[in-house]
Amino acid sequence: MNKAAPLNYNFFTPNVWLLIFFMGTGAIFAFFRFFYGFGSVTNLNAAYPFGIWIAFDVACGVALAAGGFTTAAIVEIFGRDKYHALVRPAILTAFIGYFLVGLAVFFDLGKYYNIWHALVYWNGTSVLFEVAWCVMLYLTVLGIENIPVVVEQFKGRVNLPGQLASFNRPSEWLLGQADNILNRTMAFFVIAGVVLSFGHQSSLGTMMLIAPYKLHDLWYTPLSPLLFLTSAVSVGLPMVIFEASLATVLFKREPETELLADIAKYIPMFLGTYLLLRIGDLAYRGVLAQAFDGSVQGNSFLVEFALFAVPYFMLKRRKIRRNALKLFLCALSVILGVVLNRFNVFLIGMDMGPEFNYFPSVGEFAVTFAFLAFGVFIYRMAVNYLPILEEQ
Amino acid sequence: MDISRRKFLQIGAVASGSVVCAGVKPASARDLREPNPEWLGMLNDTTRCIGCKACQVACKKENKLPKESTLNEAANVGRDVYDAPRGLSDRTYTLIKMQQAKEGGKATFVKTQCMHCSEPACASACIVGALKKQDNGAVAYDSKLCMGCRYCMVACPFSVPQFEWQNAIPSIKKCTFCRETRLKEGKPTACSTACPAGAITFGKRTELIKIARQRIEEDPERYQDHVYGEKEVGGTGVLYLARPKMQFASLGLPAFEYRTVAGLTESIQHRIFQYFIPPVAVYSVLGGIMYYNQRRKKNGGEEGGSHE
Ligand code: SF4
Ligand code: SF4
Ligand code: SF4
Repeated sequence: MNKAAPLNYNFFTPNVWLLIFFMGTGAIFAFFRFFYGFGSVTNLNAAYPFGIWIAFDVACGVALAAGGFTTAAIVEIFGRDKYHALVRPAILTAFIGYFLVGLAVFFDLGKYYNIWHALVYWNGTSVLFEVAWCVMLYLTVLGIENIPVVVEQFKGRVNLPGQLASFNRPSEWLLGQADNILNRTMAFFVIAGVVLSFGHQSSLGTMMLIAPYKLHDLWYTPLSPLLFLTSAVSVGLPMVIFEASLATVLFKREPETELLADIAKYIPMFLGTYLLLRIGDLAYRGVLAQAFDGSVQGNSFLVEFALFAVPYFMLKRRKIRRNALKLFLCALSVILGVVLNRFNVFLIGMDMGPEFNYFPSVGEFAVTFAFLAFGVFIYRMAVNYLPILEEQ
Repeated sequence: MDISRRKFLQIGAVASGSVVCAGVKPASARDLREPNPEWLGMLNDTTRCIGCKACQVACKKENKLPKESTLNEAANVGRDVYDAPRGLSDRTYTLIKMQQAKEGGKATFVKTQCMHCSEPACASACIVGALKKQDNGAVAYDSKLCMGCRYCMVACPFSVPQFEWQNAIPSIKKCTFCRETRLKEGKPTACSTACPAGAITFGKRTELIKIARQRIEEDPERYQDHVYGEKEVGGTGVLYLARPKMQFASLGLPAFEYRTVAGLTESIQHRIFQYFIPPVAVYSVLGGIMYYNQRRKKNGGEEGGSHE
């Protein structure tokens, strides 16, 4: 097993400046949102109180961060140690993902300064209440799961300059303690992370069930929590493959095709379960015909379904899994499928009548892109200065 | 939006048949809460409303709501024009809408405002419990608790709660049932007092239902034999009467099911968190698998295998 090591590249490449540009643009729109109200930036309205900041930044963000708990479960719980190289990047991206979800929620809350109320004023009947708790706890767990990386980098090497030098010893002691305690308790956190993920991934699927008269039949099903959970599990590995492939190209690293192709064999298993549940549910409720009625929702469903089904059949074949490009495209397809599914549930499937519509404004897009850029920026910084990716 | 009873029956069936996260009980909606006989309400008689909008004006005055220019005339004409608003908003808690029912084609004026539901979906959804059904029947909102997540807007089947899109620090706005300003002093709501046609009757909900039934009985030519809101979405505090042979749905009052809107989400939530059994069970199973795999590794001295 190779050791993970920081990349230590030159950090401020043109790509990084591009990220900074996106972040800056988003910040300008965010300024207006915070000081002049949502109306000055977003196209949100009475019929569509949730926009892309919820549908994409939060709902998709949580789903796409599923790479963390799926990889952790496969490697640490089910003991498939040979995929070890994939765990650290996956846990890191999950942490970044959830951090951004939290930030996006903060931007989307009208009274953001009351965000802590979710911890103090409990309303057990609210699905959102459960989501909030799980996300917060899981973010904490992810933070803890990332500590060993920091410890590994700095233990025995703390060397603060000048005045701060007196803190060297206490810092070392702290790192040593953390190392010690975490070594013994990590298993607890790994399992807790998986359980918490199960909780909020499925609860996100329960969320829109509060609106039986608004959400389209194709998505309004009591199975929704289970479908959200299984689709999140299905997208975990494709996200890992997607990120690893991009890292290969962007950081000019050697491709990990062998390893990725190998772990990709689990994807059809997850996807198959999801598709079976999905089709079974639609057929049982007798709403399948609505998929073919030519409506926006019907068509959107068909595209969503194809994005899941095609990679299912493709990835069953070893030859395709071993082809880096095809594997990448299949992973991308699953990712887009999950993204479209979340959009369908949170926006497109919300049938508010002909007099209402919503399409995200430039400002909403800009802020969403800023979040994405910020995520990539943190990732870039982390792999550069911390031992995340394995040495080649 | 065409909601058939069938959809709900099927959904009930799927729910009970499914194993959503280790369900023990079928996901049937829990029993409806017994309506409190002390709850106050309003009876809106659409056969009496003459569409004068006096209630709208009274509501604005009572709640000190700013005027609003609704058609974006400032941009088109160069100055604001104040016409009747098009829909509820953060500045309009009640609105008279003229509905042209398909059947008979007669124009009917229908008042909209918060329905003060017996089983309010908004209150079930609110993450911090900022919306609550009060003992006097009003569904009250506490802006100090609210986080501004807008989930209540999604949840309300009548799309009543409104958001202050133009405010830097926005709150939810909706009909208050004049709770603080009038009910406290024993006075009836402003809109019901203002109505010159006697179309809005204020009183205890149980009484209102009796009055409604009486009106239907006394004049079956004039009234449809249905009190909207008596059963819909588990009962609402504001009730409606309409002319015969007229779908309530074409008056902007959809044919909602009699069960509560939040029944499904609440029962799913319930099952997951009943005594925390499912999470603890998942935790134990995963822990067991992890322990087994680590033991096997230690004993065999080899890496976890992968079988295909
Ligand atoms: S009408 Fe809507 S806002 Fe009013 S109590 Fe019912 S669910 Fe809540
Ligand atoms: S916007 Fe406020 S009142 Fe509405 S659900 Fe969120 S916290 Fe509750
Ligand atoms: S009850 Fe009060 S707040 Fe509600 S519509 Fe009537 S006047 Fe307005």
